[in-house]
Amino acid sequence: MVGDEPRDGGVENGARLIRFATAVLGDDLEELAAARDEIVAVMGGEALTDTAAVAALFNAIDRVADSTGIPLEDVKAEATADFRSAIGINDFATASEKGRSV
Amino acid sequence: MMEISYQNVALPVREDITAAHRRTWDRLGRAGTWLTGAERLAIAREARVALDCKLCRDRKDALSPNLVQGNHDHSGGLSDIEVEQIHRIRTDPSRLSRAWYQGLRDGGMVEERYVETVEIIANIVAIDTFTKGLGLKPWPLPTSRPGNPTKCRPVAARQQIAWVSTLDPQDAIGTEDEDLYAGRPTAAHIYQAMSLVPDSVKSFFDLVVNQYLPPQAMTDFDNEYRAISHAQIELVAGRVSALNQCVY
Repeated sequence: MVGDEPRDGGVENGARLIRFATAVLGDDLEELAAARDEIVAVMGGEALTDTAAVAALFNAIDRVADSTGIPLEDVKAEATADFRSAIGINDFATASEKGRSV
Repeated sequence: MMEISYQNVALPVREDITAAHRRTWDRLGRAGTWLTGAERLAIAREARVALDCKLCRDRKDALSPNLVQGNHDHSGGLSDIEVEQIHRIRTDPSRLSRAWYQGLRDGGMVEERYVETVEIIANIVAIDTFTKGLGLKPWPLPTSRPGNPTKCRPVAARQQIAWVSTLDPQDAIGTEDEDLYAGRPTAAHIYQAMSLVPDSVKSFFDLVVNQYLPPQAMTDFDNEYRAISHAQIELVAGRVSALNQCVY
């Protein structure tokens, strides 16, 4: 999920969804159109609009978290400590800016 | 008045999303808690202008944003400190820091206005990214309405878990802001993030509930509420947050 390769994450149509989520945050509009068309063709139009809605919402909610300095809840940080380290989330720039390294 | 409509779009957009976008656009042009309608629209406009700012592009490419000095390309009408806030949150959120925030405060940024500005940026990003995803142009901004901000600060808000002051759910009980948490003594931190301005929380979470999931649906894994599954929703959310390098 944090790498460059659009794998499926063990989720049905995951590679297509990751391709779209990556494209909608990028500048390549041709790639975005191709990612959009692929989801519509394989998963349907409703799946595309719901995917766009979720991607857009999290593009916003990330900004709320980062600009207010709100920390991850302790219980969530503890429950995810092992894989957050393993997949590199602790290397993100904000990891040490929310009161502790999480 | 222009009203958001997805009726002429070839793709099926849920009516609850359309309705939430219309409510957001209506609120955007009205006086908020700390900002007038005209100010709220100026911030929304600037959140879009930021995407074409050369200084922001240069900073984004730099090892540290602090290494690049200069002036933002902006649309005018806002103070330098407001422009800095809007552009950085819009274009480089993962490298915001407590020191950067404190610098804005030391420069005269009013905390409550900062939080309401975060709400406006978030709302613009949520709707503009959605239209971009569908291959549509951004919606024209609404016109401003007359009116004055209410300037109501929650009496129990205080500096505690975040850079900005927040209202703890337990502290809200028995106050006029109790409804923000529906009387519950706990809430997710992300829900508390903008609680210094309760109407900003309500406004943004109107989009959260409709573009993502209502609270009860988030953990109801026996049922699916969207055209994509819980697992697919979380995969998309996780990918976006990873690209944004968001720790939360």
